[in-house]
Amino acid sequence: MNDFLANIRWQDVIDIALNSYVLFRFYILFRGTNVLRVLFGLAVIWFAQRLATSMGLIVSSWISQGITAAAALIVVVVFRNEIRAVLQTKNIRGILWELPKKQTTTPIEKIAESAFDMARRHIGALLIIPGKDDLGDIVQHGMQWQGVVSKEMLVSIFWPDNPVHDGAAIVRGSRIEEVGCILPLSTRDDLPSNYGTRHRAALGLAEISDALIILVSEEQGTVAITQNGRLKNIQNPATLEKRLRDHTSLRLGSRSNLLDERIEIVLASVLSIAFTLGIWFSITRGLDTLATYDVPVEYRNRDSAQEIVETSDNTVKLQLSGSRSLLRSISPDQLRVRLNLNKAAVGPNSFSITRDDITLPPGVILKDVQPPFIEVTLDITTERVLPVQVDWVGKLSDRLILTQARPDPATVKVIGASQYLDSLTTIYTEKVSVEGIKRSGSVEVGLAINPAKLRLASGEKRSVTVLYTAKERTPPE
Amino acid sequence: MKIFRKLYVVILLITVLLPTIAVGQAAKEQPLALEPKKLALGATATCENVLSGIPENKAVAFSLALKRVYCYTNFTSVPEKTFTFHNWYFRDNLKASIKLVLRPSRWSTYSAMELRSSDKGPWRVEVTDEEGNILSTQRFSIID
Repeated sequence: MNDFLANIRWQDVIDIALNSYVLFRFYILFRGTNVLRVLFGLAVIWFAQRLATSMGLIVSSWISQGITAAAALIVVVVFRNEIRAVLQTKNIRGILWELPKKQTTTPIEKIAESAFDMARRHIGALLIIPGKDDLGDIVQHGMQWQGVVSKEMLVSIFWPDNPVHDGAAIVRGSRIEEVGCILPLSTRDDLPSNYGTRHRAALGLAEISDALIILVSEEQGTVAITQNGRLKNIQNPATLEKRLRDHTSLRLGSRSNLLDERIEIVLASVLSIAFTLGIWFSITRGLDTLATYDVPVEYRNRDSAQEIVETSDNTVKLQLSGSRSLLRSISPDQLRVRLNLNKAAVGPNSFSITRDDITLPPGVILKDVQPPFIEVTLDITTERVLPVQVDWVGKLSDRLILTQARPDPATVKVIGASQYLDSLTTIYTEKVSVEGIKRSGSVEVGLAINPAKLRLASGEKRSVTVLYTAKERTPPE
Repeated sequence: MKIFRKLYVVILLITVLLPTIAVGQAAKEQPLALEPKKLALGATATCENVLSGIPENKAVAFSLALKRVYCYTNFTSVPEKTFTFHNWYFRDNLKASIKLVLRPSRWSTYSAMELRSSDKGPWRVEVTDEEGNILSTQRFSIID
């Protein structure tokens, strides 16, 4: 533990805290939906895959690997509606830090009063008060409404001339979230014959979820509720209010439930931290592995008048230590060795490679650098005029002699490192074949210049014209 | 090493034998006028052969089949006994530096290079005086 505290960096603390919070928010946003359940399932598959791999089960490992590889796609495609709902219904504050507010203000009295009012007027209605179950996959979504519950609004939604009056309305908290929703019908065959489609729909949803459905019969002018697969007629608003209060307190309101929710949130946050810590430990504090990487040396702050003409090494070997997974995840651009040439002088310079010259990804420890020194020879750039020589190749006809070859221009001005230029005496042309030569003539030919070391001065052409003279060989006497 | 030894023998033979030819020629051409005070190079050429002190088939491209290439120099003025150097370069690498004696008052001399298959490419011969001052540069290629 002391070792852990001594080695942990401030970046690690931020890293763990940030990812724990992301995980926690993810839980808060998607709790109660199937997304979390499927993610848990995928985690189990991933664990199974690791197990299968370690046990050498080829097919199991292969299949589970395929599933986990496609997991991100599966989650996005299958749960696009849930993801969209979360993103659409919540603002940035809701997504980033707000805890879902307790919806204790469900206007039970208004709902009960409205239900009996509609019953009196023989207006059929279906009102869904969701429980803890996610209705996303059960209810066929209708139209977003997001209106504050009021008696007038409920009556107007189910008014016979309203296009959405046939569907069900979902009431969550103080708002009517959706209207015109289609519910699954009950498949029971023991229902009384006077039960219409609305009754079957109310029972259908009650059979497969913990939602409470208020059913107002248009024909009979009665109010009933369905819950846990049972239908119960309600005689007066007070009874309905009591049932609603029981249902909503079950979901939100009671003191014990509030306590449960707090415990759930605390547990989720603790688990998020524990999970992130677990991942962090597995990545950064796994079994130490040593690996060697060849990293190209980069040079910076070079005087623009100088050129690097020679280096003792172009790459250095970095021996790194860290967990296996961390080392395996290193990409070439994460490792850099950059030498500062701002104090370098013309001629040979020796640079020792220090830790400041090396960039490593977090969590990776540098063990060794080979070679520890780099010799860099710098030179100033200079201009020089050099003669051009034709580089003839091939086989000349036996009856001909090439007596003269004159490149035009005969010299070119080149720019390069003075040390390199000093050793250069001639600029050769590209190879010119003599095989086609039958008589004197001329040929346009490019200059063979090593672009890495030399360049032509401005105004110089990249090619020359070679004027050559060929004469017939005098036969031996 | 064997090749260099062979080359050395050839060069030695040339430097020993040529002055006899050149002396005869020089003696024949020597005018009775006042000796010029400066060394002057009259003609330089790379050629396929030198026969009786005269370069044959001057060229800028020589076939490897010739087996040997010559650099001929004719000094029109030699004030005193001195030396000239024929420095043979393959690309920019010095392959041979041949010291040749010059005697007053005119002198012709030459050096030769044995050719191998690896010698194909651009060559040059720098003719210098005793102090290494370049008097002339001959450029040529060895081809198939």
